[in-house]
Amino acid sequence: MSEIEQYLAPENLASALEVMAAGAVTLVAGGTDLTPQINEGRRSYAPTLINIRHIEGLSGISAPDGHIRIGCLTTVSEIRQSDLLTTAAPILCEAANHFASEQIRNAATIGGNICNASPAGDMIIPLLVLGARVELASWKDGGVVVRQVALKDFFTGPGRTVRRDDELLTAVIFARPAENFIGYFRKSGPRPALEISTVSLGIGGNLTDGRFSDVRVAFGAVGPTPMRGKNTEAALEGKILTPDVIQAAVVAARKDVTPIDDIRATEWYRNHLVAVFTEELLQNVCQN
Amino acid sequence: MSVKTELTFTLNGRPVTLEVPVEMTALALLRDGLDLKGTKYACGEGECGACTIEVDGVTVNSCLMMAVDLQGREVMTIEGLQTNNALHPMQQSFVDHGAVQCGFCMPGMIMQANYLVKKNPDLTREEMTRGLEGNVCRCTGYSKVLDAVAAVVGAKQEA
Amino acid sequence: MSEQVAFQHIEKSSLIGQRIKKPDAPAKAIGKTRYINDMVLPQMLYGKILHAGRPHAEIIDIDISAASSLPGVHLVITAKDIPDLKLGFVKDNAPLKDKVRCERDEVAAVAAESEAIAAEAIKLIRVTYKDLPGVFSAEDGLKDGAPVIQERFPDNKSLKFEFHHGDLAGAEAGSDIVLDDVFNVHYVTHCCMGTSCAIADFDHNGKLTIYSQTQYPYNYKMDLAPALGIDPGDIRVIQPPTGGSFGAKLDVYPFEPVAAILAQKTGRPVKILFDRQEEFINSPTRQPARIHLRSGCTKDGILTFRAADVLMDNGAYTSWGPTVPVIMMRTTSGHYRVPVVDFTGQAVYSNNAYAGSFRGYGNVQMTYATAQHMDMLAEKLDMDPIEFRLKNAQKSGETTPQKSFLRECALAECLTTAADAADYVAKLKKYTDERSEEGRYKRGIGLASSIHNAGGAKIHKSDGCGTILKMDDYARVTVITGASEIGQGIDAVIGQIVSEELGVPPEHVTLVNNDSDLGPWDVGVHASRTTFIAGNGARRAAIKAKEQILAAASKQANVSAEELDLRGGYVVQDKDGAVVTRLDKMLRQMHFQPEPDVVMVSDYYEPNSEPEGRDHISDHSAAYAHAVHIAEVVVDTFTGEVKLEKITMAQDVGRVINRMGLEAQMEGGVAFGIGFALSEEMLFEQGRLKNPNFRDYKVPTAPEMPEIEMHFIESDCAEGPYGAKGIAELPTIVIAPAIANAVYNATGIRFFNPPMTPEKVARAIWEKTQQ
Repeated sequence: MSEIEQYLAPENLASALEVMAAGAVTLVAGGTDLTPQINEGRRSYAPTLINIRHIEGLSGISAPDGHIRIGCLTTVSEIRQSDLLTTAAPILCEAANHFASEQIRNAATIGGNICNASPAGDMIIPLLVLGARVELASWKDGGVVVRQVALKDFFTGPGRTVRRDDELLTAVIFARPAENFIGYFRKSGPRPALEISTVSLGIGGNLTDGRFSDVRVAFGAVGPTPMRGKNTEAALEGKILTPDVIQAAVVAARKDVTPIDDIRATEWYRNHLVAVFTEELLQNVCQN
Repeated sequence: MSVKTELTFTLNGRPVTLEVPVEMTALALLRDGLDLKGTKYACGEGECGACTIEVDGVTVNSCLMMAVDLQGREVMTIEGLQTNNALHPMQQSFVDHGAVQCGFCMPGMIMQANYLVKKNPDLTREEMTRGLEGNVCRCTGYSKVLDAVAAVVGAKQEA
Repeated sequence: MSEQVAFQHIEKSSLIGQRIKKPDAPAKAIGKTRYINDMVLPQMLYGKILHAGRPHAEIIDIDISAASSLPGVHLVITAKDIPDLKLGFVKDNAPLKDKVRCERDEVAAVAAESEAIAAEAIKLIRVTYKDLPGVFSAEDGLKDGAPVIQERFPDNKSLKFEFHHGDLAGAEAGSDIVLDDVFNVHYVTHCCMGTSCAIADFDHNGKLTIYSQTQYPYNYKMDLAPALGIDPGDIRVIQPPTGGSFGAKLDVYPFEPVAAILAQKTGRPVKILFDRQEEFINSPTRQPARIHLRSGCTKDGILTFRAADVLMDNGAYTSWGPTVPVIMMRTTSGHYRVPVVDFTGQAVYSNNAYAGSFRGYGNVQMTYATAQHMDMLAEKLDMDPIEFRLKNAQKSGETTPQKSFLRECALAECLTTAADAADYVAKLKKYTDERSEEGRYKRGIGLASSIHNAGGAKIHKSDGCGTILKMDDYARVTVITGASEIGQGIDAVIGQIVSEELGVPPEHVTLVNNDSDLGPWDVGVHASRTTFIAGNGARRAAIKAKEQILAAASKQANVSAEELDLRGGYVVQDKDGAVVTRLDKMLRQMHFQPEPDVVMVSDYYEPNSEPEGRDHISDHSAAYAHAVHIAEVVVDTFTGEVKLEKITMAQDVGRVINRMGLEAQMEGGVAFGIGFALSEEMLFEQGRLKNPNFRDYKVPTAPEMPEIEMHFIESDCAEGPYGAKGIAELPTIVIAPAIANAVYNATGIRFFNPPMTPEKVARAIWEKTQQ
């Protein structure tokens, strides 16, 4: 086991980033992913452990000028119960409602769920549907610099992202959905929540006179990363959701995904659920 | 062994200051460091809820939480739920409704149930069930647990 | 004294059938109870075991030098350091191995000053293995040239059990319908919430005190001693509160003698405690089985025969698992009136995990097959399914081909009660009709039943239980019983029974049952026997005490003892409850007289049953009981998810003793069966467990539990305490086939290979639509 040589609990962003610029660190907030990964030997500690919980300004949900901004320390429970999100982006609350258990929802942070980069990360799917971007802060030339990356471009593989080791994901941001935005989230499993998704799916877009536009589709647990469904989106964009269009979207969805066999499900079942859920969510949209 | 750090927090209403190894979990600190063995280890990965404690008024799995993360916070364990040497109404209800068999998961179950009722005194049976989804019990089949929680909710609604 | 005035007359009342609280519940609810997992003894060391992590290999070399020199490590041992002594049903399991036969095999062990140091030391042990080709199924183990797992068994054949009754060929020829199906029952495990633990401590006279989770402390000594080369008499077993057992602790497993050897060699107490992953990999499983079942009946719906050929994967070692045919054959021959029976059960060694006993013990597996065959026969006959079952249901006074004597048999009443309550017949028809209609969600209803021993099971030379009862000068009662408490609630039941007889409040009864140096012998918590056997024992002891007190009171009050009773802490006149004297006062008067008469009684209750015997023709239990479960499900035919909406159950409980404890056992027992049916499965790949955690081994959680409606049928068992029968296993046994029958009703598809996971159900439905 690698040893932690230094523990820090900075109170402001700059000092955290300065340490991160200087050498390898392990970041911890809720600990819900980190602790089991350490225990199972899937991960080891860097020499410096930084607890980011005490950094000011990284928590909470706000609505600056036409956007929604969720600080990285915001817990899944806070998202689930947010009045703002219930109104503005209920798809996110729905995913939070199907996330792990109450105790984990109370501890797990949105930043952690994104950075853990699990292909089955439940919160990532609705954020992809909302066209979210992540804010990455780092220390450069004596100051804090921030860049934004579209969430769809953030993931590079299971547990891997474009975030550099010296960067902290400080927030996730998306444009406030239009009034006519409709979005649905679905994950597999007989349990309501405490289940690693074998397939998760989100579909959202603007519905005007039955026509679906600005469509975004996202899939979880059917490829190396959570991902957008480009073929499915193309099959739906600007269309009225007739049975034929829905069937075409189902076919497209099967093209979008590249599931594998693992102990949780076979490739066959994942493909099957992708088809079932795509049709189900599009039916939900139709019924709106 | 890794470095240690000083930690100060409030535990069941009393201040505590001590040195902890930084990689220690909150569960290990409570059980081995502070001899509060009511909080149980059963899975160590947040899947069973036996280690549930309350931190700043919300429940978490102490097996997933690092001890250092307790800094400056208010912590309540099962040992802190009873007051004046009397069982807390939730504990009493679990006893009265036969929800305790081997009892190993019950401290966590009771902590979670108490939190749910505090958060929402009008809890429905459906909401209770969802709220306890992260607490595994192998003895009861959960019926008696839900009866016990429902009785506390019912008593609160009458009061 | 004022009480005496208030209670001039005390009415006769009974606690039997009431709701009695578990006496240990408050301490558990406040987190005060110290489970064995929580215990720390002075000077205690922490033991840890190196498991092989590979299924079949020669051990070429073990280098313990780095581990031994780690600061804080007291001892590292391997097979070379201990005598060649074995554990297990056929003594095939060494505490530490010189050859690897399965993933969990114990290769070395460490004792150190902390858990962390012990874990670090384990990582420093270097083992050189030479992997061997493995056997990963019973079928493969029987093949010519299959690798030999246990040298003493060159054909890999382990235990075999047979029972044959009647003319099979004739019965087949006389059958109008014959079913022939293969059921494959999977691996599941107990998942006790408290992980496995033992603490061993030797004194300077060579006596071992072992703190254990065992559910059979007395025979445990006999099983543990040979692995240590000591006399069973030199073992004291202490049973601290334990986080569940369910059959998992009905044998000695290698970590226990390993803890003892470490303690013996270091001279310090040694604790071994598993983490959850170790618990999954290194605990016994339920015995998996391939059950080839044939059943026949006439066109009038009379069962003609059952033939079961059961092949069991023994795993690498032999614990209780491969002995389950002893119960399987009782179900084959006794689940309804079966005139001709042919049963063979053969276990075959492999490099897989090995099975122990597990709530339902073989009957979970067998009933999954027989109860589906009953359903299939009813359908083939196109006969009312209840009428078909009633035609074949045995009645009081009948005997099965194995000579199980059904003195009180309430199967028919269980069937009609459950079926009426659930409106089973009408719903079955309705859902069958709806099956072919359009629609994603399909409803289904399914009924299953079974029989189980309900008055112990005489598989040992004695199936008895000892009780010692004493009363002090304050009318407080101490009961020392051989029966163990593992969470099931015998503490409440014994308190209740003793209170009932002695007229004292249950909280005035103290139970002592966690120390083999104090307790009299008992065969253990298994076979749904404890309320029946230990309850009878406690009752008999209490009656002896009562007779002693009333005899003394009779002399003093100058009335005959038959005219007196004990009620509410008083000696009273039986006919009108008129108070004669206070009980505590009476006890003091008995005590402090020239010839002291102190209440200290004992009893050894041996149930009226016959030893199992090699031919399996014996009335091996003092009672038998039946249960009927009806499951109602909704199947999502797209995702394959089976939602269990409601269970209606009717069970012959003989007589309700502690209603609250009874309900709790039913609900908890059903949860095991639901997990078995729908979600729990140990996934092995080449002998390695792929899902050793609760993430991927899914035990039922609160949202997965259905509404449960319980009907207790009171058949008033002549031999049972107050008429009670044993109850705790049937709920686990009967639910799974009821669910399978319901899923069939919903989908038209039979699931011969549980669990009915969403993927399996979805795939079967999809394949059916492709045909």
